[in-house]
Amino acid sequence: MFYIHHTVCISPQNTFLEVDLEQLINCSENKLYAKDFPVDGIPTALLRRMGKAVKLGVASSLPLFKFYDKLDGIIIGTANGGMEDCIKFLNQIMQYEEGVLTPTNFVQSTPNAVASQLGFLSKNNGYNITHVHRGLSFENAIIDVGMLLEDYPDNKYLVGGIDEISTYNFNIDYLCGYVKKENINNNNLYNCNTEGSIAGEGVAMFVVNNNSVGATSKFRALETIHTTDEKELQAVFHKFLYDNLSENESIDLFLSGENGDRRYTSTCESIEAMVNVDVPVARYKHMSGEFRTASAFALWVSNYIIQIQHIPTHMLKKNKQRKETNNIIIYNNYQGFQHSFMLISKNN
Amino acid sequence: METLELKQELKEKIIEFLNLIDVKPGDIKDDQPLFGEGLGLDSIDSIELIVLLDRHYGIKIKDPKEGRKILVDINTMVDFIEKNRTN
Amino acid sequence: MTKVYVSGLGIITSIGDSLESNRTGLIEGKCGIDPLDFFSTKYAESLLFGEIKLSNNQLKDSLEIKEPGISRTSLLALHAMNQAIIDAGLTALDFARRDTALIIANTVGGMCLTDELYQDANQHDVGSEYISSYDCGSVGIFLQARFGIKGIVNTINTACSSSANAIMYGSRLIKKGLAKKVIIGGTDSLAKFTINGFNSLHILSPGLCAPFDNNRNGLNLGEGAAFLVLEGEKDIGNKKIVAEVKGYANANDAFHPSTLSENGDGPFLAMEKALTCADLKPSDIDFINTHGTGTENNDEVESKAMIKLFNTKIPPFTSTKSNIGHTLGASGAIEAVYCILNLLHQEIYPSLNFKEVITSTGLIPEQLYYKTKLKNVMSNSFGFGGNCSSLIFSKV
Repeated sequence: MFYIHHTVCISPQNTFLEVDLEQLINCSENKLYAKDFPVDGIPTALLRRMGKAVKLGVASSLPLFKFYDKLDGIIIGTANGGMEDCIKFLNQIMQYEEGVLTPTNFVQSTPNAVASQLGFLSKNNGYNITHVHRGLSFENAIIDVGMLLEDYPDNKYLVGGIDEISTYNFNIDYLCGYVKKENINNNNLYNCNTEGSIAGEGVAMFVVNNNSVGATSKFRALETIHTTDEKELQAVFHKFLYDNLSENESIDLFLSGENGDRRYTSTCESIEAMVNVDVPVARYKHMSGEFRTASAFALWVSNYIIQIQHIPTHMLKKNKQRKETNNIIIYNNYQGFQHSFMLISKNN
Repeated sequence: METLELKQELKEKIIEFLNLIDVKPGDIKDDQPLFGEGLGLDSIDSIELIVLLDRHYGIKIKDPKEGRKILVDINTMVDFIEKNRTN
Repeated sequence: MTKVYVSGLGIITSIGDSLESNRTGLIEGKCGIDPLDFFSTKYAESLLFGEIKLSNNQLKDSLEIKEPGISRTSLLALHAMNQAIIDAGLTALDFARRDTALIIANTVGGMCLTDELYQDANQHDVGSEYISSYDCGSVGIFLQARFGIKGIVNTINTACSSSANAIMYGSRLIKKGLAKKVIIGGTDSLAKFTINGFNSLHILSPGLCAPFDNNRNGLNLGEGAAFLVLEGEKDIGNKKIVAEVKGYANANDAFHPSTLSENGDGPFLAMEKALTCADLKPSDIDFINTHGTGTENNDEVESKAMIKLFNTKIPPFTSTKSNIGHTLGASGAIEAVYCILNLLHQEIYPSLNFKEVITSTGLIPEQLYYKTKLKNVMSNSFGFGGNCSSLIFSKV
């Protein structure tokens, strides 16, 4: 579909500035907050108004803008982007009983605040969109950019996924049962046998185009489905493999979206069991935490693994890393009903 | 409250309310324009300052355009507050 | 590339809960903007809204919704979606296909439930029945589960241009062969969040909005939902076609989070690119359903952009927000349905509350109902953050 060139990731792990995935940074009270990041490139006049999600989006993209004179569009997936500001505004409504209220929280609360700030900062008049479909927000951003590049093969686009843990989001997620009731260490995430996962946040941005020169990897295919029926899900994955991998191609890594929630483990493992038994299997949500655009982190990590040809030990669930990691399948499962499969390959 | 004290208080409140990072009260001159070239505030800030006047000094300004006539610099704001505050 | 046709429509607004009643209301110049009957807000005394005169319980009863946790935003969507899928003759077999997509647009989601959200967001106790219905994605997720839709499902939120962008995304899915049928819907309900948000920006009118009037003083908020079913030329067979999605474009104004640039770069680019996409010239556009919110900023800027694009030959235009208010995430879809009514019946509906032309631009909206030949109609939607979209529909 398209080639991945520059990428940036700000996450709870060492993925920004100096990348080091060997060291696994631990969660605290079941939250994996993104590491602190510099905001010096952001004009203070704008910075002072930004909520965390917008800061994450802008801080991660500014380095990318330096490389490119002009990007042709900005496509963002975020399910909760701006939710913190949304709740702050809501608190104002309640506190002041719908009286005289300050507008900044309202303006910053719209999920498209990230994309629009990025458009403003890069003076970009091109296509600008925000996809907000919960656990498939980032996947729809990928579908969108894939279609754009078919129509405009000479263009370059910024595509990314972003979400933050805000106090309020976390409270709602906790009440929904998405977060474990007992505090755990993330290096023990998959052994708990309890419901819920740990909360995460972060941003992963990609500059993509149809030009293979200089690209680390090629994004080849994506399928999504809403289902709680394992058989139906297996049929979709079977077709995905059949349609997209030729007979002489092997899967060199299956990156699973297992998140330690025991309700979804068997589904994840049933999909995992559909690839050859000797295929290395790795997991990523102990690094990123669970959040609606965690699949963007998965794509970033896959691209990085392809680049350095090394899988951090703590990620591996089964089998050793192969001599060459060329083809990676990413499976994401959001709350047992939103699923995606992505195929990414080394650009030779 | 003395005028000088009010000017200091107002500067502190403006900085806090508008989240003016890296600005200290001493950086804001009394006759420095708040909008455009001076402190560089914009239309959303003018609305926020109207809210500040309401919440901290009990002064209601219904129309943002009327507000811009008052929100010229610290001097005009303080003058207006002294004449119209209700708390 | 395959043409994209519209095969079904559904709509509910403050001037009607069906396509026919909306058309009648538009012909008669009906205004659905008046004092609130159901929604509770401090501003019920002082402001007017395009409220749909059906309570949540009435909607639930008519839609036979018994399960808890369904927001008004979702209820309005379901009402309109039911109409559209019947109109397009879609069946359960269609929904179960991997090439039937569902694209939803809304800005409010479940945030219309201010009190429940406030409680849930601020405490660590037992969640309300709406606990997983607050985000924008909740509407699409509800509809996907209800109908068993197995193709691409998505939700778009780009503020006021959301459902216009959803129509664009859905059209492109068909052109790229990623879907054969796309059900697209825009929906939003009244919420303290948006009422207070727009009020804090001082852009709500104290009376009735007056799009393109020199003395206009703000917008009226409304609620509603509209759905369209899109199908590709190759696969539509003998079904009736109500219109073609001829062209579309999105451009970013890149000027300010809540105001458009003085010269309307974003609006101009969106309209210009939509014409290019449609392979049409400005002179091919017979009518424009403008964004026309009635705010000082939008109407002047949109006028300037129209003048820049069309020069002296500006097509007849109106703003249907003068009938139903600004329905935010639903506006693009509602106004698309209205454009298709223009084309189906070859008629123009009057814009309301216009008295005096804007001095700096001199543009006058149509104020009478009349029949006229229409081939290509443009619909504009410009959102917060400078997100500008333009759609072109053509008679088939």
